[in-house]
Amino acid sequence: MRQPIARHTLRRSLMPGVAMILLLAGMFAVGSTLCFADDGPKPDPAGIATGDRTSVQDAAGNLLVPATPDPTSPDFAAQKKAYGEFQAQMAKEPIAAKLADSLGHVRISTNFSWTLLTGYLVLFMQAGFALLTCGLVRKKNAAHLMMLNFAAFVFALLAYYAVGYAFQFGAVAINAAPTNLGGTPTLNTFLLGHGSWGFLGGKGFFLSGPGYDAGSLCLTLFEFVFMETAGYIIVGAVCERITFGAFILCEFFIGGILYPVFGCWVWGGGWMSQLGTTMHLGHGYVDFAGSSVVHAVGGFCAMALAMILGPRLGKYGPDGKPRAFPAHNIVFVVTGTFILLFGWMGFNPGSTLGATDLRISVIAMNTNLAAVSGSATALLFWYLIFKKPDITMACNGMLAGLVAITAPCAFVSPNSAVLIGVLAGLLVCGGVLFNERILKVDDPCGAISVHGYCGWLGAVSVGIFADGAYGSGWNGVGATSYLGQAGQGVTGLLHGDFSQFECQLMGATLCAVWAFGATYGVFWVVNKVKSMRVSPEVELEGLDVPEFGIPAYPEDALVSFSHK
Amino acid sequence: MKRIDAVIRPERLDQVKALLSGIEILGATAAEVRGFGRQRGHTEMYRGTEYSVDFLPKILLTIVAADERVDKIVDAIIQGGRTGKLGDGKIFVTPVDEVIRIRTGERGPAAL
Repeated sequence: MRQPIARHTLRRSLMPGVAMILLLAGMFAVGSTLCFADDGPKPDPAGIATGDRTSVQDAAGNLLVPATPDPTSPDFAAQKKAYGEFQAQMAKEPIAAKLADSLGHVRISTNFSWTLLTGYLVLFMQAGFALLTCGLVRKKNAAHLMMLNFAAFVFALLAYYAVGYAFQFGAVAINAAPTNLGGTPTLNTFLLGHGSWGFLGGKGFFLSGPGYDAGSLCLTLFEFVFMETAGYIIVGAVCERITFGAFILCEFFIGGILYPVFGCWVWGGGWMSQLGTTMHLGHGYVDFAGSSVVHAVGGFCAMALAMILGPRLGKYGPDGKPRAFPAHNIVFVVTGTFILLFGWMGFNPGSTLGATDLRISVIAMNTNLAAVSGSATALLFWYLIFKKPDITMACNGMLAGLVAITAPCAFVSPNSAVLIGVLAGLLVCGGVLFNERILKVDDPCGAISVHGYCGWLGAVSVGIFADGAYGSGWNGVGATSYLGQAGQGVTGLLHGDFSQFECQLMGATLCAVWAFGATYGVFWVVNKVKSMRVSPEVELEGLDVPEFGIPAYPEDALVSFSHK
Repeated sequence: MKRIDAVIRPERLDQVKALLSGIEILGATAAEVRGFGRQRGHTEMYRGTEYSVDFLPKILLTIVAADERVDKIVDAIIQGGRTGKLGDGKIFVTPVDEVIRIRTGERGPAAL
């Protein structure tokens, strides 16, 4: 009798969410077509016009073809002279001009391959998250965990396809054109704001029109897998008690609104990225691969959801003391963590959006160093304090190091990467104990500490450890010289740029406030309308059978753990 | 005839089995079981929080034998299963009314 009822409840709770999203999506589709009837550059869906002589650069990023002279620029005369000389040279050497077109195309193709392949690596992190979080919970919820991870992928991508990508990157060509991928010139309109104060992108809804372009879709693939990462993060904090319907609503919210909005501010050429030019704060807010944009957004969203849901039944005894619910499969936990490490080799080095940027080797090595130092720190911390090295905390420590190095990976030296890993390892241990014992927020997999706290740390550490070796001209700041040095890139507190630190500290904190505040506001209301939590009977039995009709391990009958 | 039920440590099963083979027992049944004794399990630490393991894994070994062989079998189990530490387990000996071999229908000690 129970299964048909469970299915019925599920359908009922899903219906309003799906209907709402479809309605919103339809409105945006119509709205965007009406508002931006296309006047801009033509998209290139076949990929035959992307990458020509204008894409040819030397190792330092200097263009072969001088920029078209801008009559409003003070350097107009010099620009015009350089441009004229180049045109004259090209007329004399037509074969060289044709070769330059081919070379530009090859450069873009190389970077397409790199970006897509690293994107596939990030996609595989889905499997890592699924194993990690599934292993960390109790047996009776294993199928529930796998289904949450699976559904996160499915529904968040649909929301991102419909509106998320356009919100995030719909104006990227204005301030942050991905030149390694051909510049995506069709994504050129802010829905909210303009110029250096953009708040929301406005082109590329449903990946159609300006979004149906080879360069843009290469970016879409790479960016949606990042969005998915933010989407999975919440699984670790909401699992073992959230209803499936409520979870799907969370994923629509993350993929369609929460993630893209902050992503636009930082990566879509939005206002935070431009704080360097508008407010003279360093190179603007800098987050290379998403410590804050991806991880802190996911982590603090997870925190808000975990608070709304409340702790799992029996997590806190009548005395208010926490009780342990041990992981049911350590093999999954460790395998999942290693898959995540492997996927991170796409996450960070891939964020150059191009293999022609040779900083990728430094980034890859920094990423591994932070991973091992984070893990070693957490492991030794537990060994010293609690006498046994906890395997799940060693894994959390590795992920903490990875999360924290994600923003600074391109801007710091290997030594700084090790140090950042150590800080993250300490922070994740402190965070897990603080959440469990003091805040009393029940986070079964440590998602809040790993992704939220360490994501914040990662973004701030750009402002501390960045050594100026990379990122010259980042966000349009200091293209010719910075801090009196030609070629000086993003620079942190320890190397003489205090304003970068200020910007990182404020930006990372704003990220936490945005992700926590927006999520708490929306889902506090949702939870009032309809409880997001399963009934106590279902929770005690385990969600596998009541919610999905099948246990993960059907042969299992004996329960070996209980609490006095 | 007697039935011998021995709850032993899983890691001592190989040793017990070797000794039982040495005295040529006619058959045995083993099952993985969980249980607790006077210590009521023990506590462990997970992510900084203590939890109790109430039911510890054990092996339940069942042998049915003729009365005069019981002492020898019990001695072998004790010799193979004893570590001297808490948790070595227990042996229960109970009378058996009847034994039937399903294949032939034989009854009594001949069916053992």
